Amino acid sequence: MVLEATMICIDNSEWMRNGDYSPSRFQAQADAVNLICGAKTQSNPENTVGVLTMAGKGVRVLVTPTSDLGKILACMHGLEIGGDMNLAAGIQVAQLALKHRQNKKQQQRIIVFAGSPVKHEKKVLEMIGRKLKKNSVALDIVNFGEEDEGKTEKLEALLAAVNNNDTSHIVHVPAGTNALSDVLISTPIFTGNGEGGSGFAAAAAAAAAGGVSGFEFGVDPNLDPELALALRVSMEEERARQEAAAKKAAEEASKQEKGGEQQASSQDATMTERASASASEAETKTNDMMDDENALLQQALAMSMDDPAINQEAKDTDMSEAASDDPELALALQLSVADSSKDSSSQSDMSKLLADQSFVSSILASLPGVDPNDPSVKDLLASMQNQSESQQKNDDKKPPSEEEKK
Amino acid sequence: MSGESASAIQKGQVDLLDFIDWSGVECLNQSSTHSLPNALKQGYREDDGLHLDSDADEQLLLYIPFTQVIKLHSILVKGPEEEGPKTVKLFSNKEHMGFSNVNDYPPSDMAVLTPDNLKGKPVLVKYVKFQNVRSLTIFIEDNQTGSEITQVQKIMLYGSTVETTDMKGLKKIEDH
Repeated sequence: MVLEATMICIDNSEWMRNGDYSPSRFQAQADAVNLICGAKTQSNPENTVGVLTMAGKGVRVLVTPTSDLGKILACMHGLEIGGDMNLAAGIQVAQLALKHRQNKKQQQRIIVFAGSPVKHEKKVLEMIGRKLKKNSVALDIVNFGEEDEGKTEKLEALLAAVNNNDTSHIVHVPAGTNALSDVLISTPIFTGNGEGGSGFAAAAAAAAAGGVSGFEFGVDPNLDPELALALRVSMEEERARQEAAAKKAAEEASKQEKGGEQQASSQDATMTERASASASEAETKTNDMMDDENALLQQALAMSMDDPAINQEAKDTDMSEAASDDPELALALQLSVADSSKDSSSQSDMSKLLADQSFVSSILASLPGVDPNDPSVKDLLASMQNQSESQQKNDDKKPPSEEEKK
Repeated sequence: MSGESASAIQKGQVDLLDFIDWSGVECLNQSSTHSLPNALKQGYREDDGLHLDSDADEQLLLYIPFTQVIKLHSILVKGPEEEGPKTVKLFSNKEHMGFSNVNDYPPSDMAVLTPDNLKGKPVLVKYVKFQNVRSLTIFIEDNQTGSEITQVQKIMLYGSTVETTDMKGLKKIEDH
């Protein structure tokens, strides 16, 4: 919630006619500007934003820093493309506009959209940067559009001259399918030096404005927030566990069974914690889903304890119910279960088998026409189980610890 | 600007530290690690290891508002022999100056600091120009040797207050 006065410098030169950013560079820029204005005014109601154009007949201030979003959006209409961008003059005029801001307590910031090639010398840009730093003005640079040789280098030099304690940033946006605004949303330009609050508001504004494009997992959080939340939670858990597993893999190379057991017990403890956490989150879901998920998690726990023989049939049928309800959810949970069971066993072979087994059983369950209670299927699964059990017996300490856990 | 005794505070003058409005104190072109409180605040300024450094170049612009109107008598600037400030311009009651307009106004007073001053000899200012000071702007234009960074170890302001009502001391009259 930094109190800030921002001047946005728009590139409306001839280079902006190009269509490599959809629908055109200029339009992508305009969308990004609208989003930035929205984010800034939302993060702090006293923030002001102003806009100026750098090309055309000359540098022209369209609107001086104001907190009135309507005025800013209105002035973006009817902008014409033409001429050549004058970066140095644009930044200097922006600095002057900020100097005359109403509220002197606001921090000064300039956001520059550099789409056309930069014709100034590096030294000139560095001098401008130093002057900005001296007057405590922060500078954000959006490098897009033309990929001129030396352009990136010059802009990086400018940033280095201005940067004071990481308040200034540069973002390079290559041409592609992603819209300019989408790329900018995740950058510090939007989130403002890692403030979570303003970032969230910006993301919410972006989602509202942006529509359906590119949701994670292909699920619209607006339509089905519970499902989206469950999927996201399980993905994050999996990622966290994978990172932990990567660390442990290095340690486990030296420690063998003893280390593995201790980790197994701690993994079980964390699994129960996570299970209770995700169970509480799942309370928002419909009753069916919650029951299935609890059952699934209990099965996951049982499996990570390497005690599959007892609940074999129940597991498969439960999983088939859940799977039939929501295959995506079951798959995500299976993946997280598979990873947890990998962690709990130190041997990679055994973990593969377990993973395979749970995976195979879920696949079998989801296949139409395959009855998991079918004796042949059960035999097959039992034989897989025996293989894993024989591996277990190779570990001296595992079976007694399993007895304790029971 | 003749100086008198180096360490004794002139008769009748007080250290104006208590009257500085800290919420409005600003310093342009200061380095983030060595900032203005190092030179101004009680305790910090006595420590010669803590000093105010300039950042991008050798100039510094300090803005010090006061909680009440004061008269400024003298100023003491302590710094190292080489990087200590040389030309110091004082502006009274000019708010929010920047480096670009600092030379547009004639200063209320100007001082060229000698190495003696940098060791702790206060500089008397043109008292008549500082009778009614709400805020003081100190512009350090260059330093003794022309080095890239200017260092200031201590800044002390001496003066007296004008008879003004302390609004916090006013008590509401009870109706009985």
